[in-house]
Amino acid sequence: MDVREKLNILSAAAKYDVSCSSSGSRRSAPPSGLGDACPAGICHTWSSDGRCVSLLKILLSNACKYDCAYCVNRRSNDVPRATFTPKEVIDLTLEFYRRNYIEGLFLSSAVVGSPDATMERLVRVAKELRRVHRFGGYIHLKSIPGASEALLHEAGLYADRTSVNIEVPSERSLTYLAPEKNYGSVYGPMNYFAERKIEYGGSRGRYTPNFLPAGQSTQMIVGASGESDFQILTLSAGFYKQQRLKRVYFSGYVPVNADKRLPALTTKPPLVREHRLYQADWLMRFYKFDYDEILDAKHPNLDLNLDPKAGWALRHPEFFPVDLQTADYEMILRVPGIGVKSAQLIVSSRRYCKIRLETLKKMGVVLKRAKYFIYHPDIPAGVRQFYPEMIRPLLIAPAKSQQLDLFSPPETLALPAPAPAMPAAGRLPLALPAQPRLLAAG
Amino acid sequence: MSICISYDSTFDGFLSAVFEIYSQHLDVESFVPDRDAGAADDLFQQRFRVEANEDSAMRLRRAIVNYAGEDVLNLLETAFLSEEAGIEMKILAFLRKLFTGDDPNYGKNPASPEMLPLYKLAGSVRHEAGGMLGMVRFSKAPGDFYVAKIEPKYDILLLMESHFSNRFADGNWVIYDAKRRYALLHDKTGKCRVVDVPDDAALVNAINTDGYTRLWQDYYESIAIKERENPKLLRRCLPVRYWKNLPERQAARF
Ligand code: SF4
Repeated sequence: MDVREKLNILSAAAKYDVSCSSSGSRRSAPPSGLGDACPAGICHTWSSDGRCVSLLKILLSNACKYDCAYCVNRRSNDVPRATFTPKEVIDLTLEFYRRNYIEGLFLSSAVVGSPDATMERLVRVAKELRRVHRFGGYIHLKSIPGASEALLHEAGLYADRTSVNIEVPSERSLTYLAPEKNYGSVYGPMNYFAERKIEYGGSRGRYTPNFLPAGQSTQMIVGASGESDFQILTLSAGFYKQQRLKRVYFSGYVPVNADKRLPALTTKPPLVREHRLYQADWLMRFYKFDYDEILDAKHPNLDLNLDPKAGWALRHPEFFPVDLQTADYEMILRVPGIGVKSAQLIVSSRRYCKIRLETLKKMGVVLKRAKYFIYHPDIPAGVRQFYPEMIRPLLIAPAKSQQLDLFSPPETLALPAPAPAMPAAGRLPLALPAQPRLLAAG
Repeated sequence: MSICISYDSTFDGFLSAVFEIYSQHLDVESFVPDRDAGAADDLFQQRFRVEANEDSAMRLRRAIVNYAGEDVLNLLETAFLSEEAGIEMKILAFLRKLFTGDDPNYGKNPASPEMLPLYKLAGSVRHEAGGMLGMVRFSKAPGDFYVAKIEPKYDILLLMESHFSNRFADGNWVIYDAKRRYALLHDKTGKCRVVDVPDDAALVNAINTDGYTRLWQDYYESIAIKERENPKLLRRCLPVRYWKNLPERQAARF
């Protein structure tokens, strides 16, 4: 089998691992070596499903001896099998890298022989890239559940990042769907790396290795087993706090196997739900939300029609309206329609001048959404009145019905001034949505 | 009578023009960079030529740093690289207000009516330069020489120099901006220079002749997940105008 054929098989076999990030490492090119890594990460292209492609993501082998229900590579599947030699992987990585196709390598493998034998092959490739070829680009190595600590340690010396996928968000479902795995074998490597990072993180002396500079990530399949979004977010918040993971990825389940333990083959991947989970994750990582602010036992699932930030705002009218001229940065970030960039602009410019609505628009604030949540002398008092039950449909209205720009001519103000009686929904001049539309977290 | 200034399209050329505007009290209506020189001439407008002058440009740079700081100078220069029509007048409007000195904080405020559009524009230029770092595609030509062609919207080639010089420090490579017909040429001793490319046939012919292009295209096709295809999202992340120089998108386009 030639390299081209292997590449086709072993990249297709790796594609369901969604992580492809090259961020988190600052590595300058080794003397007379090739390549470096930049902390923000770089996307090199986007696949036709709109995912950023940053690394050459392949399996070393797909000849798995395990039989996880949700996986294409499980031993009971009749699929073409292939195995790269280390040299083939190294050549592909270096040649792709020199042509600037990629930031580096993401190497994973099905379990072939024992977990240790598999892990050892992965580590060998990384070691040779670094030691022999003086490769300074990004390397992401998968940790094989059950691999020994000695091998994990070596992986940490050569890789920028490692990941071990939890895959199924509860242990009961995991052992049901992947009989050869359990939470212990997954948490093992994670905890090992987390502890070493803490150990090496304290002192950066001459003899402390640059151990796993970009940390760890993991992935959960969403929609293959019955867990709620609240369970999923609780679990990922735990990963961020306890194992200090850098990223938790969600992968909407794409049915690849007919298996009575799983949703039918015709099931569409739950892309909207996955998108909402990413938005929630974003709120935890960049907007300082706690997972139990986004969801709780009473609201165990994310609203598919509304982004979680707007959802939170509507459940908490007591925090609004926010006065942009005086509010804390953290509070401004919580206003729907205001993102990190505009929040920073607001904070860094408001000492010099009063912020005008025109300026907000130019900063990139989505006033269509934000106006219900901010106090501004130029926003008519009627808009400011906080009635979650009225605002909700306006936030999920499809683009078309929003042609009526609620701002430009003041006469066309959408919401009637708050009369003592609540206006009937029928009086709203806006058409209410027939089809809910996806809204990005603002 | 208001005039129209023609200059050599460089930032220093523009600064020299601003210097003349101040020293000769010129009333300016517009600027014409040389790259637009062929475009429709306004017969009724008086043309005034300013040659780039290192000394006046330097003095103006210093003045901007004094009034507003290094960051702002950098921001103006970045916004200038957008080559957007009318960008000179926008920068001039900002400088006019800045140099009146009425408001000591004017230079620090990113949201003043003159600054905000420049701030946003500089953001777009940086955004494209950052994105382009990933979208340069080298092809290997004979003699261990790597060739890439790009056609960015903004004039960002020089913003990418340090990134590629660090990454491929001992390689022979060239990145060619086919829209502006100049290139960044790097040799394996680490020297990097800018060259004009009046005839690009040899360069362009070397592109995508290399066997790894095929492997890369294969790789790209095999990682797509059919069930998740999302052309809209793809276009938003990877605008169509870039596809032309990305071998993986050419194969996918049929
Ligand atoms: S261990 Fe399970 S998930 Fe991993 S390749 Fe084998 S079957 Fe697939």
